[in-house]
Amino acid sequence: MLVDVDLVVPAGAGVCVTGENGIGKSTLLRCVSSLQQPDAGTIRVFGGEPGDTPEFWRAVVTTVEPTTWYPGLTAREHAELVCRAHGQDPSVVDEALERFGLATHADAIPPSLSSGQKQRLTLALALVRPSSLLILDEPEQRLDPDGRAAVAEMLAEYLTTGGALLMASHDDVFAAASGATVTTMDALAPAAP
Amino acid sequence: MTATVALRPVRRWIHARQAAHRERGAVLTNLYVGALSLAIIGGVLQRQLTAIFWPADPALSGVAGLALALVYGALLLLALRRLGPVALSRPATYFLLTAPVSRRGLLLPGLRLAAVATALTGAAGAVSVLGQVGTRDALPPMTVALGALAALLVLLIAALAQTDRRGGTTVDRLASLALAIGLAGLVADAAGWTPPALPGPPAAASLVLLAGALALVVLLGFTVVVRGLARTPNDRVLESAQTAGTLFDAAFGMDPSWVTDMVERRYWATRRLRSTRPPARLPLLTGQDLLLTARRLPRLVWLTGATALPLLLTTSPRWLLAGALLAGALTAARTCTATVQTDAGNPVLARLLGLSSRQALYQRFWVPTALAAAWTTLALALLQLTGALPPGPWWALGLAVAPAAGAAALRRARVGFVRNDLLPLETPMGTVSTGPLVNSVAGPDLLLLGLPMVLALAQGQSLPWTSVLLQAAAAVLGARAYLNASTAPTRTELAAR
Repeated sequence: MLVDVDLVVPAGAGVCVTGENGIGKSTLLRCVSSLQQPDAGTIRVFGGEPGDTPEFWRAVVTTVEPTTWYPGLTAREHAELVCRAHGQDPSVVDEALERFGLATHADAIPPSLSSGQKQRLTLALALVRPSSLLILDEPEQRLDPDGRAAVAEMLAEYLTTGGALLMASHDDVFAAASGATVTTMDALAPAAP
Repeated sequence: MTATVALRPVRRWIHARQAAHRERGAVLTNLYVGALSLAIIGGVLQRQLTAIFWPADPALSGVAGLALALVYGALLLLALRRLGPVALSRPATYFLLTAPVSRRGLLLPGLRLAAVATALTGAAGAVSVLGQVGTRDALPPMTVALGALAALLVLLIAALAQTDRRGGTTVDRLASLALAIGLAGLVADAAGWTPPALPGPPAAASLVLLAGALALVVLLGFTVVVRGLARTPNDRVLESAQTAGTLFDAAFGMDPSWVTDMVERRYWATRRLRSTRPPARLPLLTGQDLLLTARRLPRLVWLTGATALPLLLTTSPRWLLAGALLAGALTAARTCTATVQTDAGNPVLARLLGLSSRQALYQRFWVPTALAAAWTTLALALLQLTGALPPGPWWALGLAVAPAAGAAALRRARVGFVRNDLLPLETPMGTVSTGPLVNSVAGPDLLLLGLPMVLALAQGQSLPWTSVLLQAAAAVLGARAYLNASTAPTRTELAAR
């Protein structure tokens, strides 16, 4: 259930929504990602309505839904595929896998990775391609402390390039390190007139 | 150490609890519906099925009959190896395999069930071989019992292979080899090779002797297997339970995609891959499909060998030959459509790629179509070379029909799970659910675009180029219409349409 939410995420800024389980964080992210339709209210992403168009998904990356993998494709090949789909040189993949601690697992098929490594790969795919808005649902989940620090650093870097970040998290330290403004679901209720 | 607990009271307790929440007679109802469906299909297609399984003029030579028996034996062995054959239900593996109960007692009922099913399969196989062999009237009914005993021998081999991983791999390879040899023998026989004549049908007395010896071997074998039953490794039992459970799910939900998914997952789990970049000049997803196809080498080898299989149907009704060619084209085209299936099931990666559904599907259309073209062209060329077809450019028909098979493979990959919310069909003898029916025809229905090829084959006259052009036009326009109607340049998701 999501009632009375008022939120603006400007370009180059990050917002991290916190709150207990079931309060509606993921529902909010799903609505902004166009994966769920709100019963009432208005959502604008870059001035337009969010929807399942290629243009929308070229600007927006979301990890709200669990990832499935192409059978028979290695971790590196997944990343290169995403890169090439956005006209990037696939040589940037090596560095991305290195930064996410996946360099030694580049030839593994994703289902054979541990849950933490799968989460790293999901985030690597999200960050290796160009985008204007990142919508991440608890990106720190299943990551070890080093992994959390590395991901927070990369998210902070993403914000400096002008991208916007909307995420849900249970880790205030991680949220602060990623440069996002921490807010609660209660605080998102519009001020009384 | 915990003492071993008697298994029988535990099983009885579980059964009593299950019976409490199960609908009365649910299993019987399922069996009735299954038997009813088979009876309806059997009744409708009685004449056609008789023509296939018990033809009026059986033409198979003795050697080819043995080859057919070898094929059945190899297929049975491969199937039993996948199923266990020593298996448990999934709940039993969770709760009873780790409990302090007698392992032999736990695993024995599964083996017993497998033995009964295998013996019945063997007898049915023997009947179906008899139906094809030219000298069938001279062979005594004892042959059917021999089939059942031989099948039990196969079960024993599979059970022994289950306890030893390396031995199991060798058995699998030998079974594949036997299958290939058997098929080659059948194809050679159909292609006109005259096999050495066998010295007449065996005497009834020698068959009885053979059956007695086989029965003795089977009895001894079962003693050895049952004694060693408790030593069956846990991982083997777990794997078999997973396979049997998935098969049960697929049969219960009438959704074979469960099984194909499992086979696909297991194939990739055993492969060691090295990251490769597909040619940059190709469209992105076409390159990806090409890469995945190159990684399915065993399947490609089997597909190439299977181009000779239509030769087995040269004496069968023509519609059966045409159907087999279309089914082969679809099977070849489906080699690399798992990517479409992934995107249709969960579009997370499709969104990440940011391509429109039209771009994605057009890019993924080429490799399946090329595979279907190669397979059908080769199969038709072989048929013509062996003189089974009248004159004409039959090979070109393979190229012409390929787009239809490509489109059918894509549609099949997008179909998703069986829908159980569709209206059931009321028949005087019971209710038949339409969901599985609708699901199973989605994909193959586009093969109707191959109708010009079916008609050309059915007519049995020389093939003019106009028929090839007609087929090409039907396939290309039909595939194009499907791709355009089921996708949009403004949408990414690929779900069933």
